[in-house]
Amino acid sequence: MVEVHLDSMLSQFVARRHLTTSAGSVGALLDDLEARYPRLRHRLRDESEAVRPFVKIFVNGREVRPRGDGGPTLGPRDEVDILHSIQGG
Amino acid sequence: MARRKKVQVWVGTRKGGYVVEGDSERRKWTVKPPFHADKEVFRITADPRHPGTAYVAANSGWWGPSMFRTRNGGKSWTEISVPGTPRLKARSPPVESPSAQFPIKNLWQVVPGPTSAPRTVYLGADPGLLFRSDNEGASWTPIAALNEHPTRPQWNPGAGGMCLHTILIDPDDARRMYVGISAAGAFRSDDGGEHWTPKNRGVEAPFLPDRFPELGQCIHKFAFDSADASTLYRQDHGGIYVSHDRGDRWVRIGKSLEDDFGFVTATAPSLPGEAFFIPLQGISRTMLGNQFQVYRWSDRSRHWGALVPKGRWPGDYGMHRDGMATDSLDPAGVYVGTTTGQLFWSRDGGRSWNLVPYQFPGIHSVDVGISDRS
Repeated sequence: MVEVHLDSMLSQFVARRHLTTSAGSVGALLDDLEARYPRLRHRLRDESEAVRPFVKIFVNGREVRPRGDGGPTLGPRDEVDILHSIQGG
Repeated sequence: MARRKKVQVWVGTRKGGYVVEGDSERRKWTVKPPFHADKEVFRITADPRHPGTAYVAANSGWWGPSMFRTRNGGKSWTEISVPGTPRLKARSPPVESPSAQFPIKNLWQVVPGPTSAPRTVYLGADPGLLFRSDNEGASWTPIAALNEHPTRPQWNPGAGGMCLHTILIDPDDARRMYVGISAAGAFRSDDGGEHWTPKNRGVEAPFLPDRFPELGQCIHKFAFDSADASTLYRQDHGGIYVSHDRGDRWVRIGKSLEDDFGFVTATAPSLPGEAFFIPLQGISRTMLGNQFQVYRWSDRSRHWGALVPKGRWPGDYGMHRDGMATDSLDPAGVYVGTTTGQLFWSRDGGRSWNLVPYQFPGIHSVDVGISDRS
């Protein structure tokens, strides 16, 4: 299973900070999160499914952006962090 | 004896929204605590058809756009839907987006529909999108004739994005509507939004090779004359204009000013034939004379008047395009919010001015609602 870690800003939509998924790609992971936690829908991605500008996704510590085909792919030992970059002012 | 009114000045800021309350005397104001403070509130619009009702259009780089409605003057808020984005509690099952072709970047404008359609609300968004709701924001219908206008490939974003920032509904004919899009220009529909025609003849676009194109103008704000809806006043990137034929032709009126760049214009019901502007220095985008200053145009005498005494509030104040509003009382109240968080007001049509003693975050928008005191 893929381990997913969410930042504290997401706690208003998801009651837990850590969860697991069997999704095989980053795109499928976002689909899975939105299906399990509908209040997340349109918060991580806009209505065209583009990830919002300040949402950052890291796979095993490396930042990734989902591609049109849903990739990058995920394996059972991967760890995913979803963070919101902090903007000052 | 006239019944006392409650005057609510709705202030949208970089860090949430505020309501500033006074009575019809408009001498003392109370600033209520902020709401939606985790969001940039681009616009709060009072609905004069339903006193106490107001709509919030908010944006966030983290969470995207969101909308809220109050029916009790801001005591409580209900989240309503954004086009393509149902309200939080209703996000399952997923709703297909009607606007996925043009994802919404920011919400800019909310405008109540005509009195004949009391539940209708219009919404303007970036990139150049217009929506109508016939159920007070529970769902939205894209106005395809504008959103997919054949000239759309010629539209370009201004510095604030490709914002649809102004929506005007003719008080004499609800099927006649206008919108302003930066930087596409003004458009008019005479058939309730079925067809749209650019209305920019005579307006200079100093940043384009063709300085008087059919469209591409960076319109910043426009408003009806309060007694004659065939007359409109217009603040563009390329100057200040008036039209006396429903936007068919525009005549520049700002050339006698030191600079007629600016963002705002407003008119007041008790001041027909007059319009307020706040011209800015074109380079710095700050008010003329290095002080707080408001100008009033008289369309009858065709003269400008500077309304604030010299040196009253020295400084370099900026404005956003929704930063000025008037109320429906007589004499008119005029309200100006600055990008540095000052809220100025006049209770006598601009003859004298005061400053609300509160430091707001940078102000995006100001609007006024009036209701009976409860």
